[in-house]
Amino acid sequence: MNARAVAAWSACCLFIVLSTTNPVYKVLVLAAALSALAAAGGLRRMRRLLVAALLIAAFATVLNFVSAHLGATVLFALPAQIPALGGAYTLEALVFGASGGITIAAAILAAAPFSLLLDSHEVMDALPAPLSRTGVAIASSLNLVPAVATSFVEVTEAQRLRGWRPRGPRSWMEVVVPVVLTSVEGSIQLAESMEARGFGSGARTTMASQALGRADWLLVAASGLALTAFAIALAAGWAAEWLPYPTLTLPTINPWPIAACLLLFAPVLVWRSRS
Amino acid sequence: MAIAKLNHLTYWYPGGATAALRGVQLQIEDGLTVVAGSSGGGKSTLLRVFNGLVPHFHGGRIAGNADVLGMDVIATPTRRMARRVGFVFQDPELQTVYNVVDREVAFGLENTAVPRREIAGRVEEALHAAGIAELAGRTVRTLSGGERQRVALASALAMRPSLVVLDEPTSQLDPDGARMVLAAATSLVDEGRSVIISEHRLDDLLREAAGLVLVDRGNVTTVDPHSWRPSAPSLRPARVAAAGGEAWALENVSAGFDGRLVLDGVDLGGRSGEVVVLSGPNGGGKTTLLRLIAGSLAPVGGDVWRRPGRVAYLPQNPTVLLHRPTVRSEVSFTLERSGEVARPEKILEELGLLAVADRYPRDLSSGERQRAALAAVLPGNPALVLLDEPTRGIDPGARAALVALVGRLRDRGASVVLATHDDDLRNALADRVINVRDRKVAEMSLAVAT
Repeated sequence: MNARAVAAWSACCLFIVLSTTNPVYKVLVLAAALSALAAAGGLRRMRRLLVAALLIAAFATVLNFVSAHLGATVLFALPAQIPALGGAYTLEALVFGASGGITIAAAILAAAPFSLLLDSHEVMDALPAPLSRTGVAIASSLNLVPAVATSFVEVTEAQRLRGWRPRGPRSWMEVVVPVVLTSVEGSIQLAESMEARGFGSGARTTMASQALGRADWLLVAASGLALTAFAIALAAGWAAEWLPYPTLTLPTINPWPIAACLLLFAPVLVWRSRS
Repeated sequence: MAIAKLNHLTYWYPGGATAALRGVQLQIEDGLTVVAGSSGGGKSTLLRVFNGLVPHFHGGRIAGNADVLGMDVIATPTRRMARRVGFVFQDPELQTVYNVVDREVAFGLENTAVPRREIAGRVEEALHAAGIAELAGRTVRTLSGGERQRVALASALAMRPSLVVLDEPTSQLDPDGARMVLAAATSLVDEGRSVIISEHRLDDLLREAAGLVLVDRGNVTTVDPHSWRPSAPSLRPARVAAAGGEAWALENVSAGFDGRLVLDGVDLGGRSGEVVVLSGPNGGGKTTLLRLIAGSLAPVGGDVWRRPGRVAYLPQNPTVLLHRPTVRSEVSFTLERSGEVARPEKILEELGLLAVADRYPRDLSSGERQRAALAAVLPGNPALVLLDEPTRGIDPGARAALVALVGRLRDRGASVVLATHDDDLRNALADRVINVRDRKVAEMSLAVAT
């Protein structure tokens, strides 16, 4: 799995899901992302991510349902005097909110292979040469994230045994300050270690080959084709826009954008399990 | 042949009122050179001069001259010196950039733009030189501390340095891990490289050393490594009170993380006025056992009991405790929270910290920080004292002070549990030694343990 090929596929997914309002195409992108993750690592491994995406999507749905009092099909109404919540609750607002939720979930899952299926150095290797040093700095700082979590547990335990108890926001300073200081010190020591190994000397090389394999080329080609097809469909008006307001209607579909979305299922064919 | 010459070198850290190195006159010959001295004396600062981290990374003011392998340290940035001087730091976890061993070892080669076709061969060569060829392709986070430190050594060796500098590379390792790292380091001399190493475990190193540098309060002297003798081990403090009743107990306790058991079916207990020492390899479960006794970790199964009273707990990473503006206020903080009346200066004096009592604890050396953390948890009269690697990075003098302090707490009735790899500490204090390994605990006779 080459990070550049993954980037091409992710970018294409994001382009389609963010450039259309049609929920059919969004659902297809979401399904493609789920299938890709399942093919590469199995959905059970990604349970936390899926739960997070589901919660965020649900929140987006509820937020629009509660805040957008538009649409003709009123499900129920709350008195207008209730601040923020008062007004008509409509089917159109609920469906539009759900469409927004699908957009967010599809975008999260399309970007997920970078963190779930690739190591940080594989992402770094995919960066163009001028960004290589920045990439190394970012990736190495990401390596410190687990250390921050460990530090939080250690500090909380140690401070509890010295008599600390959580009593309001100010009391947390006794935990937060050592955690932040420990993290900063860890970053400085890592930077010192990187400097001692010549980081910042100038142009870098990389041990890994950037060459794309046959499967990577297949993915890049499918993604490129999908992007081109969907862009043409948008320009030609075949990927019709959809708005549920004022009255809910079914979205119209066209074979061109459908075919473009189906190309995004290519990872199912080329990604093997990376358990 | 001289590989490094320091001439009237004086160095102040940024904002430092006193010099960390004072008028250093030093010539290092090729071969193995050992750097020793009390913690906080300036060993790490001196070592960082050899690859230019002092002054280029740390800033501050510097006076005098330093020449290493023909390079003027003050005029040559560290990233250029890195091509000829390798450096291995204390903490293996805080010097890892990549997740995979090969890539980690290749990091320096990539930074110095070594052509891709050469990198794989150089990585293989470095892994062999560090004695870890079998680790190629492994994920770094799955390695033991000793293996990770040898990966750090391989990372330095990949640059084919003429000089390798190691700053207390074994301070966080168990005896097996330490032996592996020191053997790999000393073998470099046989390959024609020069090695400068700072260590507290001196016995084996001094036999092989061509030079010994002593650093104390910024002053540097050289002595003959074959005639110099390190401080004697800490003496066993005389017991003035007998052990009392049961202070804590674990009954059929199991514990673990993420579905993996670290301890399984453990039955163990301790009495007041008794010192129990936990030994065993890194990752064996000693810290988990301490956290269970402290009540910080809930068992998966079984029961944990401890008598009422204050628990003094020193975690493996002492800096997580330190958040007050001065060392003295760290001690006062614990006393205030526990409602005990005692003078902070008493424990500061016992641990040799009076001179730094008003300094910010995180500005201290690693050994001084360790002592500051000990002072922060041990004042007053704790009922249960749990110390995780309390002698990590501290010098023999500080170890002797710790032995005396723990002996006093024991005689006042505290129940003490120590997790340590330090043979001297164990021999000086242990009433019982418990080996923690493979999810089980087993009591060892003191004769076997020593």
